[in-house]
Amino acid sequence: MTQLVVKRTVDMEIIGDWVEPHTRVLDLGCGPGVLLDYLVQTKQVSAVGVDLDFGRITACVRRGLAAYQGDMIAFMRAFPDQHFDRVICSRTVHELGDPTAVIMEALRVGRALTVGFVNHGFWKNRVDMLVRGRKLRNEVYNTEWFDSRPANPVTIADFEYFCAAKKIRIARRAHLAGNWHTPCRTLPNLFAGYALYDLAR
Amino acid sequence: MTDDVATTPATDSAPHLAPGEVGLVSPHDFVHPSPFTFKSGQTIPGFTLRYETYGQLNATRDNAIVICHALSGDHHCAGWHSPTDKKPGWWNNLIGPGKAVDTRRFFVVSANVLGGCQGSTGPSALNPETGRPYGTLFPFVTIRDMVRAQKLLLDHLGVAELHGVIGGSMGGMQALLFAIEYPRFTRRVLAMATTARESAQAIAFNEVGRQAIMQDPAWNRGDYPRESGPRVGLAIARMMAHITYVSDASMDRKFGRKKKETAAGDAYTFDSQFEVESYLRHQGQSFINRFDANSYLYITRALDQFDLAHAYGSLESAFAPVEAETLIVGFTSDWLFPPEQNRALALALLRAGKRASYAELSTDLGHDSFLLESEELYTLVRGFLERDELYTFDYAI
Repeated sequence: MTQLVVKRTVDMEIIGDWVEPHTRVLDLGCGPGVLLDYLVQTKQVSAVGVDLDFGRITACVRRGLAAYQGDMIAFMRAFPDQHFDRVICSRTVHELGDPTAVIMEALRVGRALTVGFVNHGFWKNRVDMLVRGRKLRNEVYNTEWFDSRPANPVTIADFEYFCAAKKIRIARRAHLAGNWHTPCRTLPNLFAGYALYDLAR
Repeated sequence: MTDDVATTPATDSAPHLAPGEVGLVSPHDFVHPSPFTFKSGQTIPGFTLRYETYGQLNATRDNAIVICHALSGDHHCAGWHSPTDKKPGWWNNLIGPGKAVDTRRFFVVSANVLGGCQGSTGPSALNPETGRPYGTLFPFVTIRDMVRAQKLLLDHLGVAELHGVIGGSMGGMQALLFAIEYPRFTRRVLAMATTARESAQAIAFNEVGRQAIMQDPAWNRGDYPRESGPRVGLAIARMMAHITYVSDASMDRKFGRKKKETAAGDAYTFDSQFEVESYLRHQGQSFINRFDANSYLYITRALDQFDLAHAYGSLESAFAPVEAETLIVGFTSDWLFPPEQNRALALALLRAGKRASYAELSTDLGHDSFLLESEELYTLVRGFLERDELYTFDYAI
Protein backbone atom coordinates (compact mmCIF):
# COMPACT_ATOMS: atom_id res chain seq x y z
CA MET A 1 0.00 0.00 0.00
CA THR A 2 1.35 3.38 -0.92
CA GLN A 3 -0.07 6.57 0.44
CA LEU A 4 -0.05 9.14 -2.31
CA VAL A 5 -0.68 12.72 -1.42
CA VAL A 6 -1.46 14.82 -4.42
CA LYS A 7 -1.66 18.56 -4.43
CA ARG A 8 -4.99 19.63 -5.76
CA THR A 9 -4.45 22.26 -8.39
CA VAL A 10 -6.69 25.21 -9.23
CA ASP A 11 -7.56 23.85 -12.66
CA MET A 12 -8.57 20.59 -10.96
CA GLU A 13 -10.81 22.57 -8.65
CA ILE A 14 -12.44 24.47 -11.54
CA ILE A 15 -13.00 21.27 -13.53
CA GLY A 16 -14.53 19.77 -10.40
CA ASP A 17 -16.84 22.76 -10.01
CA TRP A 18 -18.12 22.29 -13.54
CA VAL A 19 -18.83 18.58 -13.07
CA GLU A 20 -22.30 17.68 -11.83
CA PRO A 21 -22.30 15.06 -9.04
CA HIS A 22 -23.19 11.46 -9.91
CA THR A 23 -22.75 11.97 -13.65
CA ARG A 24 -20.87 9.94 -16.25
CA VAL A 25 -17.46 11.38 -17.04
CA LEU A 26 -14.86 10.46 -19.69
CA ASP A 27 -11.29 11.70 -19.31
CA LEU A 28 -9.27 11.75 -22.54
CA GLY A 29 -5.59 11.30 -21.77
CA CYS A 30 -6.27 10.38 -18.16
CA GLY A 31 -2.64 9.65 -17.22
CA PRO A 32 -2.38 7.85 -13.87
CA GLY A 33 -5.90 8.97 -12.99
CA VAL A 34 -5.28 11.77 -10.48
CA LEU A 35 -8.01 14.05 -11.83
CA LEU A 36 -10.50 11.20 -12.17
CA ASP A 37 -9.78 10.04 -8.65
CA TYR A 38 -10.42 13.59 -7.42
CA LEU A 39 -13.74 13.71 -9.29
CA VAL A 40 -14.77 10.29 -7.99
CA GLN A 41 -13.91 11.30 -4.43
CA THR A 42 -15.55 14.73 -4.53
CA LYS A 43 -18.39 14.31 -7.04
CA GLN A 44 -19.04 10.56 -6.93
CA VAL A 45 -18.96 10.47 -10.73
CA SER A 46 -18.97 7.28 -12.72
CA ALA A 47 -15.66 7.71 -14.49
CA VAL A 48 -13.59 6.17 -17.24
CA GLY A 49 -10.24 7.32 -18.54
CA VAL A 50 -8.50 6.68 -21.84
CA ASP A 51 -4.75 6.58 -22.25
CA LEU A 52 -2.20 4.97 -24.52
CA ASP A 53 0.22 3.73 -21.91
CA PHE A 54 0.02 0.37 -20.11
CA GLY A 55 1.72 1.74 -16.99
CA ARG A 56 -0.79 4.58 -16.66
CA ILE A 57 -3.71 2.20 -17.12
CA THR A 58 -2.18 0.05 -14.37
CA ALA A 59 -1.94 3.13 -12.13
CA CYS A 60 -5.65 3.82 -12.71
CA VAL A 61 -6.63 0.19 -12.05
CA ARG A 62 -4.61 0.24 -8.82
CA ARG A 63 -6.72 3.23 -7.73
CA GLY A 64 -9.92 1.39 -8.54
CA LEU A 65 -10.61 3.54 -11.60
CA ALA A 66 -11.90 2.23 -14.89
CA ALA A 67 -9.45 2.95 -17.69
CA TYR A 68 -9.11 1.96 -21.31
CA GLN A 69 -5.83 1.59 -23.15
CA GLY A 70 -6.15 2.72 -26.73
CA ASP A 71 -6.81 5.45 -29.23
CA MET A 72 -9.29 8.04 -27.96
CA ILE A 73 -11.08 8.58 -31.27
CA ALA A 74 -11.56 4.85 -31.80
CA PHE A 75 -12.80 4.64 -28.22
CA MET A 76 -15.35 7.41 -28.63
CA ARG A 77 -16.62 5.95 -31.92
CA ALA A 78 -17.75 2.90 -29.97
CA PHE A 79 -20.29 4.98 -28.02
CA PRO A 80 -23.68 6.40 -28.94
CA ASP A 81 -24.41 10.16 -28.98
CA GLN A 82 -24.33 11.86 -25.58
CA HIS A 83 -23.38 8.66 -23.75
CA PHE A 84 -21.27 10.74 -21.36
CA ASP A 85 -22.48 13.75 -19.41
CA ARG A 86 -19.06 15.31 -19.66
CA VAL A 87 -15.82 14.68 -21.52
CA ILE A 88 -12.62 16.16 -20.14
CA CYS A 89 -9.53 16.93 -22.12
CA SER A 90 -7.15 18.37 -19.54
CA ARG A 91 -3.53 19.12 -20.40
CA THR A 92 -3.91 16.85 -23.42
CA VAL A 93 -5.18 18.99 -26.27
CA HIS A 94 -1.70 20.13 -27.38
CA GLU A 95 -0.63 16.53 -27.97
CA LEU A 96 -3.54 15.55 -30.20
CA GLY A 97 -2.69 14.56 -33.75
CA ASP A 98 -6.07 15.75 -35.00
CA PRO A 99 -7.54 18.13 -32.41
CA THR A 100 -10.59 19.00 -34.51
CA ALA A 101 -11.60 15.36 -34.88
CA VAL A 102 -11.14 14.66 -31.17
CA ILE A 103 -13.06 17.74 -30.04
CA MET A 104 -15.93 17.21 -32.47
CA GLU A 105 -16.17 13.53 -31.51
CA ALA A 106 -16.04 14.48 -27.81
CA LEU A 107 -18.92 16.89 -28.37
CA ARG A 108 -20.88 14.06 -29.96
CA VAL A 109 -20.41 11.46 -27.20
CA GLY A 110 -20.56 14.06 -24.43
CA ARG A 111 -23.15 16.65 -23.51
CA ALA A 112 -20.31 18.95 -22.50
CA LEU A 113 -16.57 19.11 -23.01
CA THR A 114 -14.04 20.65 -20.67
CA VAL A 115 -10.70 21.62 -22.21
CA GLY A 116 -7.79 22.86 -20.11
CA PHE A 117 -4.48 24.00 -21.60
CA VAL A 118 -1.38 26.14 -21.13
CA ASN A 119 -1.72 29.47 -22.95
CA HIS A 120 1.27 29.88 -25.21
CA GLY A 121 0.23 33.50 -25.78
CA PHE A 122 1.00 34.39 -22.14
CA TRP A 123 3.46 37.29 -22.20
CA LYS A 124 6.12 35.47 -20.22
CA ASN A 125 6.01 32.57 -22.64
CA ARG A 126 6.42 35.04 -25.49
CA VAL A 127 9.29 36.83 -23.76
CA ASP A 128 10.87 33.53 -22.80
CA MET A 129 10.95 32.49 -26.42
CA LEU A 130 12.15 35.94 -27.47
CA VAL A 131 14.86 36.23 -24.84
CA ARG A 132 15.92 32.68 -24.10
CA GLY A 133 15.08 31.27 -27.46
CA ARG A 134 14.28 27.91 -25.92
CA LYS A 135 11.25 25.63 -25.82
CA LEU A 136 8.68 26.49 -23.16
CA ARG A 137 9.14 24.58 -19.87
CA ASN A 138 6.64 24.36 -17.05
CA GLU A 139 4.57 21.82 -15.10
CA VAL A 140 2.83 20.64 -18.26
CA TYR A 141 5.74 20.98 -20.68
CA ASN A 142 8.22 19.39 -18.33
CA THR A 143 10.67 17.72 -20.69
CA GLU A 144 13.35 18.78 -23.13
CA TRP A 145 12.19 18.87 -26.74
CA PHE A 146 14.14 15.71 -27.52
CA ASP A 147 12.38 13.81 -24.74
CA SER A 148 8.95 15.15 -25.67
CA ARG A 149 6.12 13.87 -27.77
CA PRO A 150 5.17 16.15 -30.65
CA ALA A 151 3.27 19.12 -29.27
CA ASN A 152 0.96 21.57 -30.97
CA PRO A 153 1.11 24.76 -28.88
CA VAL A 154 -2.13 26.70 -28.64
CA THR A 155 -3.02 30.18 -27.41
CA ILE A 156 -6.27 31.49 -25.95
CA ALA A 157 -6.82 33.51 -29.12
CA ASP A 158 -6.23 30.40 -31.25
CA PHE A 159 -8.70 28.41 -29.22
CA GLU A 160 -11.41 31.10 -29.27
CA TYR A 161 -10.97 31.39 -33.04
CA PHE A 162 -11.29 27.61 -33.38
CA CYS A 163 -14.56 27.60 -31.41
CA ALA A 164 -15.99 30.44 -33.52
CA ALA A 165 -14.94 28.79 -36.77
CA LYS A 166 -16.48 25.43 -35.78
CA LYS A 167 -19.56 27.08 -34.26
CA ILE A 168 -18.86 25.53 -30.88
CA ARG A 169 -20.66 27.24 -28.03
CA ILE A 170 -18.47 28.35 -25.13
CA ALA A 171 -20.62 27.83 -22.04
CA ARG A 172 -17.99 28.94 -19.54
CA ARG A 173 -14.38 29.99 -19.56
CA ALA A 174 -11.83 30.44 -16.81
CA HIS A 175 -8.51 32.19 -17.30
CA LEU A 176 -5.79 31.93 -14.70
CA ALA A 177 -2.86 34.31 -14.31
CA GLY A 178 0.75 33.28 -14.72
CA ASN A 179 0.72 31.54 -11.34
CA TRP A 180 -2.11 29.26 -12.64
CA HIS A 181 -3.90 30.29 -9.47
CA THR A 182 -5.54 33.71 -9.43
CA PRO A 183 -8.20 34.62 -11.98
CA CYS A 184 -7.09 36.78 -14.90
CA ARG A 185 -9.71 39.19 -16.19
CA THR A 186 -7.87 41.53 -18.57
CA LEU A 187 -6.39 40.65 -21.93
CA PRO A 188 -6.25 36.92 -21.17
CA ASN A 189 -4.33 35.99 -24.29
CA LEU A 190 -1.51 38.16 -22.99
CA PHE A 191 -1.90 37.85 -19.22
CA ALA A 192 -3.35 34.37 -18.60
CA GLY A 193 -0.96 31.48 -18.16
CA TYR A 194 -3.65 28.83 -18.11
CA ALA A 195 -7.10 28.51 -19.70
CA LEU A 196 -10.14 26.32 -19.14
CA TYR A 197 -13.15 26.10 -21.44
CA ASP A 198 -16.49 24.47 -21.01
CA LEU A 199 -17.88 23.69 -24.46
CA ALA A 200 -21.16 22.50 -25.86
CA ARG A 201 -22.32 21.85 -29.37
CA MET B 1 -2.53 -23.37 -24.42
CA THR B 2 0.95 -24.68 -24.88
CA ASP B 3 2.81 -26.67 -22.30
CA ASP B 4 6.02 -24.79 -22.30
CA VAL B 5 5.52 -21.05 -22.20
CA ALA B 6 4.39 -20.77 -18.65
CA THR B 7 7.09 -21.68 -16.30
CA THR B 8 10.80 -21.66 -16.05
CA PRO B 9 11.63 -24.58 -13.77
CA ALA B 10 13.48 -23.25 -10.75
CA THR B 11 17.09 -24.23 -10.72
CA ASP B 12 16.86 -24.93 -7.03
CA SER B 13 16.95 -28.65 -6.27
CA ALA B 14 13.71 -28.52 -4.27
CA PRO B 15 11.65 -25.73 -5.82
CA HIS B 16 8.48 -26.94 -4.11
CA LEU B 17 10.04 -26.03 -0.76
CA ALA B 18 11.07 -22.51 -1.79
CA PRO B 19 9.48 -19.58 0.01
CA GLY B 20 6.90 -17.81 -2.10
CA GLU B 21 5.62 -21.08 -3.55
CA VAL B 22 2.42 -22.90 -2.61
CA GLY B 23 4.56 -26.03 -2.31
CA LEU B 24 3.17 -29.55 -2.48
CA VAL B 25 -0.51 -29.69 -3.30
CA SER B 26 -3.00 -32.45 -3.90
CA PRO B 27 -6.20 -32.50 -5.89
CA HIS B 28 -9.61 -33.21 -4.42
CA ASP B 29 -12.79 -34.56 -5.96
CA PHE B 30 -16.13 -32.86 -5.56
CA VAL B 31 -18.95 -35.31 -6.22
CA HIS B 32 -22.28 -33.73 -7.08
CA PRO B 33 -24.69 -36.53 -6.30
CA SER B 34 -27.82 -35.24 -8.03
CA PRO B 35 -28.77 -34.96 -11.69
CA PHE B 36 -27.31 -32.14 -13.74
CA THR B 37 -29.12 -30.85 -16.80
CA PHE B 38 -27.03 -29.35 -19.56
CA LYS B 39 -27.97 -26.37 -21.74
CA SER B 40 -28.80 -28.92 -24.44
CA GLY B 41 -31.50 -30.41 -22.18
CA GLN B 42 -29.56 -33.65 -21.76
CA THR B 43 -29.01 -34.90 -18.21
CA ILE B 44 -26.43 -36.91 -16.32
CA PRO B 45 -27.19 -38.49 -12.95
CA GLY B 46 -24.36 -36.66 -11.19
CA PHE B 47 -20.81 -35.50 -11.83
CA THR B 48 -17.37 -35.16 -10.34
CA LEU B 49 -15.13 -32.11 -10.56
CA ARG B 50 -11.47 -32.49 -9.71
CA TYR B 51 -10.09 -29.35 -8.12
CA GLU B 52 -7.30 -27.83 -6.08
CA THR B 53 -7.30 -25.04 -3.55
CA TYR B 54 -4.48 -22.87 -2.23
CA GLY B 55 -4.69 -20.53 0.75
CA GLN B 56 -7.47 -20.36 3.33
CA LEU B 57 -11.10 -19.32 3.09
CA ASN B 58 -11.59 -16.44 5.53
CA ALA B 59 -14.26 -16.17 8.23
CA THR B 60 -16.54 -14.05 6.05
CA ARG B 61 -16.03 -16.58 3.23
CA ASP B 62 -15.53 -13.84 0.65
CA ASN B 63 -11.82 -14.04 -0.23
CA ALA B 64 -12.10 -16.75 -2.87
CA ILE B 65 -10.56 -16.37 -6.29
CA VAL B 66 -11.49 -18.84 -9.01
CA ILE B 67 -8.93 -19.67 -11.68
CA CYS B 68 -10.50 -20.92 -14.92
CA HIS B 69 -8.37 -22.94 -17.28
CA ALA B 70 -8.18 -22.92 -21.07
CA LEU B 71 -8.98 -25.69 -23.57
CA SER B 72 -6.20 -28.08 -22.66
CA GLY B 73 -5.50 -26.90 -19.12
CA ASP B 74 -6.60 -28.43 -15.86
CA HIS B 75 -7.16 -27.86 -12.14
CA HIS B 76 -3.45 -28.04 -11.33
CA CYS B 77 -2.50 -24.38 -11.73
CA ALA B 78 0.03 -23.95 -8.91
CA GLY B 79 2.42 -25.94 -6.76
CA TRP B 80 3.82 -29.42 -7.20
CA HIS B 81 2.10 -32.78 -6.83
CA SER B 82 5.32 -34.49 -5.82
CA PRO B 83 8.91 -33.42 -5.16
CA THR B 84 9.93 -35.21 -8.36
CA ASP B 85 7.54 -33.23 -10.62
CA LYS B 86 9.45 -31.59 -13.45
CA LYS B 87 7.07 -28.67 -13.64
CA PRO B 88 4.70 -26.93 -11.25
CA GLY B 89 1.08 -26.10 -12.08
CA TRP B 90 0.48 -24.13 -15.27
CA TRP B 91 0.00 -20.69 -13.68
CA ASN B 92 2.49 -21.13 -10.85
CA ASN B 93 4.25 -17.90 -11.83
CA LEU B 94 1.09 -15.92 -10.98
CA ILE B 95 -0.23 -17.78 -7.93
CA GLY B 96 1.45 -18.23 -4.56
CA PRO B 97 2.30 -16.56 -1.28
CA GLY B 98 3.33 -12.99 -2.11
CA LYS B 99 2.71 -13.41 -5.83
CA ALA B 100 0.25 -11.40 -7.96
CA VAL B 101 -2.55 -13.70 -6.82
CA ASP B 102 -1.43 -13.83 -3.22
CA THR B 103 -2.42 -17.06 -1.47
CA ARG B 104 -1.71 -15.44 1.90
CA ARG B 105 -4.75 -13.23 1.29
CA PHE B 106 -6.88 -15.23 -1.07
CA PHE B 107 -8.43 -18.67 -1.16
CA VAL B 108 -7.70 -19.85 -4.68
CA VAL B 109 -9.92 -22.50 -6.26
CA SER B 110 -9.25 -24.14 -9.60
CA ALA B 111 -11.32 -26.95 -11.07
CA ASN B 112 -11.03 -29.12 -14.14
CA VAL B 113 -14.03 -28.25 -16.32
CA LEU B 114 -17.08 -30.40 -16.84
CA GLY B 115 -16.45 -32.33 -20.06
CA GLY B 116 -12.73 -32.45 -19.30
CA CYS B 117 -10.54 -35.49 -18.84
CA GLN B 118 -8.28 -34.74 -15.89
CA GLY B 119 -10.53 -36.24 -13.25
CA SER B 120 -13.73 -34.32 -13.92
CA THR B 121 -16.71 -35.98 -15.52
CA GLY B 122 -16.51 -35.94 -19.30
CA PRO B 123 -16.94 -38.23 -22.27
CA SER B 124 -14.25 -40.60 -20.96
CA ALA B 125 -16.17 -41.14 -17.69
CA LEU B 126 -18.18 -44.31 -17.25
CA ASN B 127 -21.81 -44.07 -18.26
CA PRO B 128 -23.67 -45.72 -15.37
CA GLU B 129 -26.32 -46.91 -17.78
CA THR B 130 -23.91 -48.92 -19.91
CA GLY B 131 -20.89 -49.39 -17.69
CA ARG B 132 -18.74 -48.14 -20.57
CA PRO B 133 -17.28 -44.67 -21.26
CA TYR B 134 -19.90 -42.18 -22.43
CA GLY B 135 -18.08 -41.37 -25.64
CA THR B 136 -20.33 -39.34 -27.90
CA LEU B 137 -23.33 -40.19 -25.71
CA PHE B 138 -22.04 -37.58 -23.27
CA PRO B 139 -24.26 -34.48 -23.36
CA PHE B 140 -23.05 -31.50 -25.37
CA VAL B 141 -21.22 -29.14 -23.02
CA THR B 142 -21.33 -25.36 -23.12
CA ILE B 143 -19.12 -22.83 -21.37
CA ARG B 144 -22.17 -21.97 -19.27
CA ASP B 145 -22.53 -25.62 -18.20
CA MET B 146 -18.87 -25.55 -17.09
CA VAL B 147 -19.51 -22.41 -15.04
CA ARG B 148 -22.72 -23.77 -13.46
CA ALA B 149 -20.85 -26.91 -12.37
CA GLN B 150 -18.08 -24.82 -10.82
CA LYS B 151 -20.67 -22.73 -8.97
CA LEU B 152 -21.99 -25.94 -7.38
CA LEU B 153 -18.44 -26.72 -6.25
CA LEU B 154 -18.07 -23.23 -4.77
CA ASP B 155 -21.38 -23.62 -2.91
CA HIS B 156 -20.10 -26.94 -1.59
CA LEU B 157 -16.90 -25.23 -0.38
CA GLY B 158 -19.00 -22.63 1.44
CA VAL B 159 -17.85 -19.66 -0.61
CA ALA B 160 -20.27 -16.79 0.05
CA GLU B 161 -18.89 -14.33 -2.48
CA LEU B 162 -16.07 -14.40 -5.02
CA HIS B 163 -13.37 -11.82 -4.60
CA GLY B 164 -12.59 -12.50 -8.24
CA VAL B 165 -12.56 -14.86 -11.20
CA ILE B 166 -9.49 -15.02 -13.42
CA GLY B 167 -9.02 -16.79 -16.71
CA GLY B 168 -7.28 -16.61 -20.06
CA SER B 169 -8.70 -17.73 -23.40
CA MET B 170 -11.54 -20.18 -22.65
CA GLY B 171 -10.93 -19.35 -18.98
CA GLY B 172 -11.77 -15.73 -19.79
CA MET B 173 -15.09 -16.80 -21.31
CA GLN B 174 -15.91 -18.64 -18.09
CA ALA B 175 -14.91 -15.65 -15.99
CA LEU B 176 -17.26 -13.39 -17.98
CA LEU B 177 -20.09 -15.88 -17.59
CA PHE B 178 -19.58 -15.95 -13.82
CA ALA B 179 -20.28 -12.21 -13.78
CA ILE B 180 -23.30 -12.55 -16.07
CA GLU B 181 -24.89 -15.59 -14.43
CA TYR B 182 -24.00 -14.83 -10.80
CA PRO B 183 -23.82 -11.03 -10.64
CA ARG B 184 -24.19 -10.71 -6.88
CA PHE B 185 -21.71 -13.50 -6.22
CA THR B 186 -18.95 -12.22 -8.50
CA ARG B 187 -17.15 -9.05 -7.47
CA ARG B 188 -14.24 -8.96 -9.93
CA VAL B 189 -13.57 -10.46 -13.33
CA LEU B 190 -10.15 -10.56 -14.92
CA ALA B 191 -10.35 -11.99 -18.43
CA MET B 192 -7.30 -12.16 -20.66
CA ALA B 193 -6.74 -13.09 -24.30
CA THR B 194 -10.39 -13.94 -24.73
CA THR B 195 -13.41 -13.11 -26.84
CA ALA B 196 -17.17 -12.69 -26.77
CA ARG B 197 -17.26 -15.12 -29.68
CA GLU B 198 -14.73 -16.85 -31.82
CA SER B 199 -13.99 -15.60 -35.30
CA ALA B 200 -14.48 -17.82 -38.33
CA GLN B 201 -10.72 -18.41 -38.34
CA ALA B 202 -10.72 -19.73 -34.76
CA ILE B 203 -13.67 -22.02 -35.51
CA ALA B 204 -11.87 -23.16 -38.64
CA PHE B 205 -8.78 -24.19 -36.69
CA ASN B 206 -10.92 -26.10 -34.20
CA GLU B 207 -12.68 -27.86 -37.04
CA VAL B 208 -9.41 -29.01 -38.60
CA GLY B 209 -8.43 -30.42 -35.19
CA ARG B 210 -11.75 -32.23 -34.85
CA GLN B 211 -11.48 -33.63 -38.37
CA ALA B 212 -7.99 -34.93 -37.64
CA ILE B 213 -9.45 -36.82 -34.68
CA MET B 214 -12.62 -38.04 -36.35
CA GLN B 215 -10.88 -39.14 -39.55
CA ASP B 216 -8.55 -41.32 -37.50
CA PRO B 217 -10.03 -44.85 -37.80
CA ALA B 218 -9.21 -45.45 -34.14
CA TRP B 219 -11.75 -42.80 -33.17
CA ASN B 220 -14.48 -45.28 -34.10
CA ARG B 221 -17.30 -42.73 -33.67
CA GLY B 222 -16.05 -41.93 -30.23
CA ASP B 223 -16.23 -45.50 -29.00
CA TYR B 224 -12.70 -46.52 -28.03
CA PRO B 225 -11.06 -48.07 -24.97
CA ARG B 226 -9.72 -45.64 -22.38
CA GLU B 227 -6.06 -46.34 -22.98
CA SER B 228 -6.05 -46.12 -26.75
CA GLY B 229 -8.15 -44.19 -29.24
CA PRO B 230 -7.32 -41.81 -32.08
CA ARG B 231 -3.80 -41.02 -30.96
CA VAL B 232 -2.60 -39.98 -34.40
CA GLY B 233 -5.53 -37.66 -34.96
CA LEU B 234 -5.31 -36.10 -31.51
CA ALA B 235 -1.58 -35.51 -31.90
CA ILE B 236 -2.11 -33.77 -35.24
CA ALA B 237 -4.91 -31.66 -33.74
CA ARG B 238 -2.57 -30.60 -30.98
CA MET B 239 0.33 -29.84 -33.32
CA MET B 240 -1.83 -27.54 -35.37
CA ALA B 241 -3.49 -25.89 -32.38
CA HIS B 242 -0.11 -25.31 -30.81
CA ILE B 243 0.87 -23.11 -33.76
CA THR B 244 -2.15 -20.90 -33.10
CA TYR B 245 -1.08 -20.33 -29.47
CA VAL B 246 2.28 -18.84 -30.37
CA SER B 247 3.38 -16.41 -33.05
CA ASP B 248 5.52 -16.18 -36.14
CA ALA B 249 8.05 -14.07 -34.24
CA SER B 250 8.24 -16.31 -31.17
CA MET B 251 8.60 -19.49 -33.24
CA ASP B 252 11.25 -17.85 -35.33
CA ARG B 253 13.17 -16.78 -32.24
CA LYS B 254 12.93 -20.21 -30.69
CA PHE B 255 13.62 -22.37 -33.72
CA GLY B 256 14.36 -20.27 -36.77
CA ARG B 257 15.46 -22.71 -39.45
CA LYS B 258 17.65 -24.66 -37.06
CA LYS B 259 18.04 -28.27 -38.01
CA LYS B 260 18.35 -31.29 -35.82
CA GLU B 261 21.90 -32.49 -35.34
CA THR B 262 20.98 -35.83 -36.86
CA ALA B 263 19.51 -34.21 -39.98
CA ALA B 264 21.68 -34.95 -42.97
CA GLY B 265 22.16 -31.72 -44.91
CA ASP B 266 19.57 -31.26 -47.60
CA ALA B 267 18.65 -34.92 -47.55
CA TYR B 268 15.59 -35.72 -49.55
CA THR B 269 13.58 -37.29 -46.78
CA PHE B 270 10.38 -36.60 -44.90
CA ASP B 271 11.85 -37.49 -41.54
CA SER B 272 11.84 -34.48 -39.30
CA GLN B 273 14.79 -32.24 -40.14
CA PHE B 274 13.94 -28.89 -38.66
CA GLU B 275 13.84 -28.43 -34.92
CA VAL B 276 10.37 -26.94 -35.16
CA GLU B 277 9.14 -30.21 -36.67
CA SER B 278 10.46 -32.41 -33.90
CA TYR B 279 9.24 -29.89 -31.35
CA LEU B 280 5.69 -30.07 -32.69
CA ARG B 281 5.86 -33.86 -32.90
CA HIS B 282 6.93 -33.91 -29.28
CA GLN B 283 4.05 -31.61 -28.34
CA GLY B 284 1.60 -33.90 -30.10
CA GLN B 285 3.03 -37.03 -28.47
CA SER B 286 3.03 -35.64 -24.94
CA PHE B 287 -0.52 -34.37 -25.39
CA ILE B 288 -1.97 -37.78 -26.28
CA ASN B 289 -0.68 -39.15 -22.99
CA ARG B 290 -2.67 -36.66 -20.98
CA PHE B 291 -5.73 -35.74 -23.01
CA ASP B 292 -8.81 -37.55 -24.23
CA ALA B 293 -9.77 -37.12 -27.88
CA ASN B 294 -13.51 -36.96 -27.17
CA SER B 295 -12.95 -34.27 -24.54
CA TYR B 296 -11.05 -32.34 -27.19
CA LEU B 297 -14.06 -32.58 -29.50
CA TYR B 298 -16.51 -31.54 -26.79
CA ILE B 299 -14.51 -28.62 -25.45
CA THR B 300 -13.60 -27.19 -28.86
CA ARG B 301 -17.29 -27.41 -29.73
CA ALA B 302 -18.15 -25.53 -26.54
CA LEU B 303 -15.66 -22.84 -27.55
CA ASP B 304 -17.19 -22.53 -31.02
CA GLN B 305 -20.72 -22.32 -29.64
CA PHE B 306 -19.84 -19.59 -27.17
CA ASP B 307 -21.42 -16.37 -28.44
CA LEU B 308 -22.52 -13.87 -25.82
CA ALA B 309 -24.27 -11.54 -28.27
CA HIS B 310 -26.27 -14.40 -29.74
CA ALA B 311 -27.11 -15.98 -26.39
CA TYR B 312 -28.34 -12.80 -24.72
CA GLY B 313 -29.58 -10.74 -27.68
CA SER B 314 -26.63 -8.35 -27.70
CA LEU B 315 -23.36 -7.89 -25.87
CA GLU B 316 -24.85 -4.97 -23.94
CA SER B 317 -27.82 -7.00 -22.77
CA ALA B 318 -25.49 -9.90 -21.92
CA PHE B 319 -23.59 -7.55 -19.63
CA ALA B 320 -26.66 -5.74 -18.26
CA PRO B 321 -26.84 -7.76 -15.00
CA VAL B 322 -23.07 -7.57 -14.30
CA GLU B 323 -22.13 -6.04 -10.96
CA ALA B 324 -18.48 -7.04 -11.00
CA GLU B 325 -15.60 -4.74 -11.76
CA THR B 326 -14.04 -6.06 -14.92
CA LEU B 327 -10.54 -5.94 -16.31
CA ILE B 328 -9.89 -7.21 -19.82
CA VAL B 329 -6.31 -7.73 -20.97
CA GLY B 330 -5.34 -8.18 -24.61
CA PHE B 331 -1.95 -9.02 -26.11
CA THR B 332 -0.67 -7.38 -29.26
CA SER B 333 0.63 -10.58 -30.88
CA ASP B 334 -2.44 -12.73 -30.09
CA TRP B 335 -3.85 -13.63 -33.48
CA LEU B 336 -6.24 -16.29 -32.18
CA PHE B 337 -8.26 -13.96 -29.93
CA PRO B 338 -6.75 -10.67 -31.11
CA PRO B 339 -6.70 -7.39 -29.14
CA GLU B 340 -9.67 -6.10 -31.15
CA GLN B 341 -11.93 -8.86 -29.76
CA ASN B 342 -10.75 -8.11 -26.22
CA ARG B 343 -11.35 -4.38 -26.72
CA ALA B 344 -14.86 -5.14 -27.93
CA LEU B 345 -15.61 -6.78 -24.58
CA ALA B 346 -14.45 -3.78 -22.56
CA LEU B 347 -16.28 -1.33 -24.81
CA ALA B 348 -19.54 -3.28 -24.58
CA LEU B 349 -19.24 -3.42 -20.78
CA LEU B 350 -18.71 0.35 -20.71
CA ARG B 351 -21.64 0.94 -23.05
CA ALA B 352 -23.73 -1.13 -20.65
CA GLY B 353 -22.67 1.33 -17.94
CA LYS B 354 -20.33 -1.09 -16.11
CA ARG B 355 -16.97 -0.46 -14.52
CA ALA B 356 -14.58 -1.99 -17.01
CA SER B 357 -10.94 -1.50 -17.87
CA TYR B 358 -8.89 -2.58 -20.83
CA ALA B 359 -5.12 -2.97 -20.84
CA GLU B 360 -2.98 -4.20 -23.69
CA LEU B 361 0.45 -5.68 -23.28
CA SER B 362 2.97 -5.57 -26.11
CA THR B 363 4.38 -9.06 -26.46
CA ASP B 364 5.43 -11.26 -29.33
CA LEU B 365 4.43 -14.57 -27.77
CA GLY B 366 0.99 -14.84 -29.35
CA HIS B 367 -2.17 -16.11 -27.67
CA ASP B 368 -0.30 -17.77 -24.81
CA SER B 369 1.09 -14.40 -23.73
CA PHE B 370 -1.31 -14.46 -20.80
CA LEU B 371 1.01 -17.05 -19.20
CA LEU B 372 3.93 -14.66 -19.59
CA GLU B 373 6.38 -14.03 -16.79
CA SER B 374 6.01 -10.26 -16.76
CA GLU B 375 6.36 -7.87 -13.84
CA GLU B 376 4.10 -5.41 -15.68
CA LEU B 377 1.34 -7.98 -15.88
CA TYR B 378 1.82 -9.02 -12.24
CA THR B 379 1.56 -5.38 -11.09
CA LEU B 380 -1.65 -4.95 -13.04
CA VAL B 381 -3.20 -8.18 -11.72
CA ARG B 382 -2.20 -7.44 -8.14
CA GLY B 383 -3.43 -3.85 -8.44
CA PHE B 384 -6.78 -5.05 -9.72
CA LEU B 385 -7.20 -7.61 -6.93
CA GLU B 386 -5.81 -5.61 -4.03
CA ARG B 387 -6.02 -1.94 -5.05
CA ASP B 388 -4.04 0.83 -3.41
CA GLU B 389 -5.47 3.34 -1.02
CA LEU B 390 -7.12 6.34 -2.60
CA TYR B 391 -5.11 9.43 -3.35
CA THR B 392 -5.24 11.84 -0.50
CA PHE B 393 -5.73 15.31 -1.87
CA ASP B 394 -4.02 18.28 -0.32
CA TYR B 395 -6.82 20.83 -0.44
CA ALA B 396 -4.61 23.74 0.51
CA ILE B 397 -4.19 25.58 -2.73
